[in-house]
Amino acid sequence: MYLAIGTGLSVFYAVVLGASATVFTTVFPLIAPILTTSGATGGMLVFTNDRLKGVLEYLIAYGVTPRRIFANVVLSSLVLATVVVAATMAGGVGVYLLLGHHLTTFLVLALTLYSVPMGYADVAFTVIIGMYWTSLSSPRTGMSSPLGLLPLVGVATPGLVLIAAVAVGSSEAVTIALGAVLLLVVIVLGLIRAVDRLMPRERFLSPA
Amino acid sequence: MDGSALLNPGSAGSHGGARVACRSLTSGYGSTPVLKDISFSIDEPAVYVVLGPNGAGKTTLFRTMAGILKPMRGEVTIAGESIESQRSRDQMHYLSHMDGIPDGLEVKEALEFYAAVEGATSADVDRVLDLLDLRGLSGQFLSQLSAGQKKRVSVARIFLKERDIYLLDEPTANLDPKLAREIRALILELSKEKIVLYSSHNLFEAREIGRYVLAIRAGQLALFDRLESLRGVRFVVGVRVLAPTDALAAFTRQGDYYLRELHGPEEVPALIRDLEAKGVQIREVREMENPLEDLFT
Repeated sequence: MYLAIGTGLSVFYAVVLGASATVFTTVFPLIAPILTTSGATGGMLVFTNDRLKGVLEYLIAYGVTPRRIFANVVLSSLVLATVVVAATMAGGVGVYLLLGHHLTTFLVLALTLYSVPMGYADVAFTVIIGMYWTSLSSPRTGMSSPLGLLPLVGVATPGLVLIAAVAVGSSEAVTIALGAVLLLVVIVLGLIRAVDRLMPRERFLSPA
Repeated sequence: MDGSALLNPGSAGSHGGARVACRSLTSGYGSTPVLKDISFSIDEPAVYVVLGPNGAGKTTLFRTMAGILKPMRGEVTIAGESIESQRSRDQMHYLSHMDGIPDGLEVKEALEFYAAVEGATSADVDRVLDLLDLRGLSGQFLSQLSAGQKKRVSVARIFLKERDIYLLDEPTANLDPKLAREIRALILELSKEKIVLYSSHNLFEAREIGRYVLAIRAGQLALFDRLESLRGVRFVVGVRVLAPTDALAAFTRQGDYYLRELHGPEEVPALIRDLEAKGVQIREVREMENPLEDLFT
């Protein structure tokens, strides 16, 4: 499903933006990370289900630490995101090429140095925030649940980077973008490392 | 009660070698304690039935003994070593009242997942599929199973690998009577060499399987004793007859039954003989109250 969403949206944006090579080259690399955040939803679904069904309780009883659980969910989400990233890039760039445009050095660099790293960093950030949020909150369903609201976190992060990059202009945009990726990675690693200290184990128990 | 005086009706005075010990255990959720200053030790292989009303703290006790909840005070040890150590955890099986079954797996895949976590082999998975009669379900997705079948898969995992201590929180909930009886038989067999703590709301099941009873009331250990010692406390039988006679005048009436309190089951044959000698035609004699019910009040 995530593959379909990622691919569908990227093709849609490629068609919309592809009328102008310049517009595609500057805008698509910035919105591509937003499309890949759908990969975070898969990891979060597994985490939420495992908590509700008592799988996390089982794992902790047998010596699996919450830190390891969090790290594994982040890794699984990144693997899932790889599918979405690949589909997004192939779909978007494929349509761009089919429309008769050519790859430029700027486009390749923007995709490889910003879009892909930011996509992965954003997925990891979204998942780690989602796990903390889920663990700290009472279970709710629907759009008011952490799972329902999580895509907004995933969209908001690269969205803010996009706004900041546009605000400072092209001269500082690269610094802003790479700095944001680095900051997200540091936050994710810090939150994984700190989970055993910050989160009481009872937070991983099923409320049922 | 401090750690130097751990309650242990099984082998008084041998607390130093206790396989499992809870010392001054206070535990709960957030800053609210559910268990309060619980101390006991266990070293004799047997089934220890943990009883108590809803909210008394049974599940909290299991979760704390399994090292899931960190005690607010006191400690849990296995052979003298804290439950926080991996070596202690490796000696214990914990079966939650939740199924603990991951989504999206087939039955055999779920057992292989458990085997990977617990250090069992694929041969163990095959053995357990047969032991719990799961072979026919092995290719089915867990989401397709009934609550009872899921419980059977959940229970199956405690037989994947032998451990010294088993914490079983309502292992027969949702099971049909036949399967519940079969699993109780497996657990009874297990308890010849292993320590099994077993919680249940089914008092007759508790009497059938338990050698000891731990009663938790309002978060405190209200009783830890041999089950047989409870049986003399209150034993009420009901007699159903074809036609009432004056011989039943001293009995209390409850529906179709005439009740008499005895000291224990050993007095039942004499009561029957006495009534028959007085011409009472007996249709049925049954135990009307389980002494364990008192532990729920």
